Amino acid sequence: MSEKSLKRARLEPGRAMLLAVMAFFFLGFFLLAMKDGKWESFALSLIVPAIIFVGTAGISRLFPSDRLLLSLTNFLCALGVLVLYRLSPQRGLAQAFNYGVGVGCMILCTFLVRYIAHWKWLTGLMMLGSMGLLSLPLLIGSETNGAKNWISIAGYSMQPSEIVKLALLLCVAYLLSQRKTVWTVLFSGACLMLLMLQKDLGTALLYFCVVFVMLYAATGSLPLVIAGVIGGAGAAWAGYTLFAHVKRRVAIWLNPWADMSGAGYQIVQSLIAIVNGSFWGVGLGLGNASVIPEYYNDFIFSVILHEFGMVFGLIVLCMYLFIIIRGVMIAQRSRTVFHSLLAIGCSALIALQTFVIIGGNIKLIPLTGVTLPFISYGGTSMVASLCVIGLLQGVASRNAAGVTADRELAMYGGEQP
Amino acid sequence: MSSEAYEILALLMRYVFVIIGLIIVWRSFRWLRRDARSYQKEMRSLPDAGLIGEIVNLTTGQAQPLPHEGLIGASRECDIRLKGAGIARTHARFEFEEGKGLRIIPIRQNRVLLSGVQVRSQGYALHGTQLQIGDALLRVRLFAGLKVPYPAAYPEPDGILDSGAYLESWTGGEEGAGELPAYYLPQENQEEDFVPYETGTVPPGAPIEDYEGHYTEDGQMTWQYAYSLDELRSAMDQKQWQQMQPEDTAPDEAEGLPYRSPLPRRRRRERRE
Repeated sequence: MSEKSLKRARLEPGRAMLLAVMAFFFLGFFLLAMKDGKWESFALSLIVPAIIFVGTAGISRLFPSDRLLLSLTNFLCALGVLVLYRLSPQRGLAQAFNYGVGVGCMILCTFLVRYIAHWKWLTGLMMLGSMGLLSLPLLIGSETNGAKNWISIAGYSMQPSEIVKLALLLCVAYLLSQRKTVWTVLFSGACLMLLMLQKDLGTALLYFCVVFVMLYAATGSLPLVIAGVIGGAGAAWAGYTLFAHVKRRVAIWLNPWADMSGAGYQIVQSLIAIVNGSFWGVGLGLGNASVIPEYYNDFIFSVILHEFGMVFGLIVLCMYLFIIIRGVMIAQRSRTVFHSLLAIGCSALIALQTFVIIGGNIKLIPLTGVTLPFISYGGTSMVASLCVIGLLQGVASRNAAGVTADRELAMYGGEQP
Repeated sequence: MSSEAYEILALLMRYVFVIIGLIIVWRSFRWLRRDARSYQKEMRSLPDAGLIGEIVNLTTGQAQPLPHEGLIGASRECDIRLKGAGIARTHARFEFEEGKGLRIIPIRQNRVLLSGVQVRSQGYALHGTQLQIGDALLRVRLFAGLKVPYPAAYPEPDGILDSGAYLESWTGGEEGAGELPAYYLPQENQEEDFVPYETGTVPPGAPIEDYEGHYTEDGQMTWQYAYSLDELRSAMDQKQWQQMQPEDTAPDEAEGLPYRSPLPRRRRRERRE
């Protein structure tokens, strides 16, 4: 073997991938800096790869963690910062800050799952807290796009349903692991009811599907699946008949061209941007995707397809797919029912959220107001998505500790002397 | 940079971004595949991974691997599946707690006896603890090296199983150490970890009434009823054990009693039917 190939062999997969991810964003921000000549762009070309390095290599030094998951998550988060910075530098910088905060919260969540052994009291507290948080928008919230799901405290706006998502995952996983199915149904039903009152149907759909997946994973009961499907279909029909904005969205989805300068403007512009991008995209910094309303939030995937092309869009989809597969692998390897269900719930949440919003962008399903995990603009969304990865990392970390303990038990009959 | 030059550069960079993206995806795919393979390989080398011991059915002699947590009952979904009268589909839950033992939680007030005492809300089983679920008599056997409390003498209630009588006769009960029955004594030059008999007929010289109801129809006695010296040692408290030791035994040797089960690590990943 030549010296060159030996060196290549020594470069482990994690390090090589980390280098590729860092190189991507260095080149991306450097290219934007060449265009606008701003010092912020040059600074970001160094800061973002540095956050990626800390968020991947640094965390895996703190505790045994899943570096593949970290690398892919960091890539998607940094891609969001890059795209947002290109279209709106102010939002891009804010998103970079959110990304840094999100990494901190991710580490916190990992520690929680890794070190907390008893969740009984915490689950009770989280259930009460979730009810309180979800009630807040009904009392002091403001209405946006037909849904009253935002609150503003001391100048900061936030969406409580994003935070409650984490509590839902933890509570449902704990309750199901203790075989408290009735409590699970009551708690998730109460959450869904509050979301319906807020008219936040996209998030309600997400909650319903995640709880349904977790219930099925915990019980494997076929009657439950049938009841869930019937219940879901009934709720969808009720939503369609009761809420006018749902009817409008379905009509836009069926034929956006009927009112292309009015209600269908958003989706039509999105489709035009995707088609303009074609296979290879129009080039970073050369597109005009900012004509799409909500380009920074709901339609960020269309912006990616426009500037980077459909081939790159498929690459991004593959990354989401790998994150989900990894989550399922973590669930399969976990030693306890609680951790297994938690990992399944986290994977299902990312999978469903990605499907719902990307499906809406490409006119596969009616558009709902959920964010694209890791990429869409928004502090709460970014922090919540990274916390979900933190929960997954915590389970992965416990799995690694379990395998080490098994190895020690097999070799030394207990802890290594 | 002029806008024309930037345009050319950005158009070229499209392909660079796609190539780097493809490299990341390819690397991730290989990473996933390699990791899955290496994990499977590791699990093959650790057949007891994820297990904490086994539960032995004292009626049938069958042993089932014991995971960290799960269900006991007659249903197919149960991790420890039992058949017999008085066993509910999901009879009880169990979960291992480090430093405490195996927590047994009966479901819907099902009847579970832990060393002869009925469990109301929950109870902890240690290595050697006897469980009664319906008609099934079970013994919990935990791996050596797990962080669990030192087990007290096996409390065997009357009418359930009289194997405790062996200990009583051997240790002399509360009054002090008695004499070891002949059939428990290891032979000369025997290895320390020798297990007197794993399966076999009732040993010669053993009082047959002690085995009443414990040997199978063909006269074979299941190995679970025999105790090795280590097991007996772990069943007694340290004071009793010290009293049993010859005078020249070093005190630190006698005190530092390791809690080690002679249970062999077996490959018993029996697929559930």
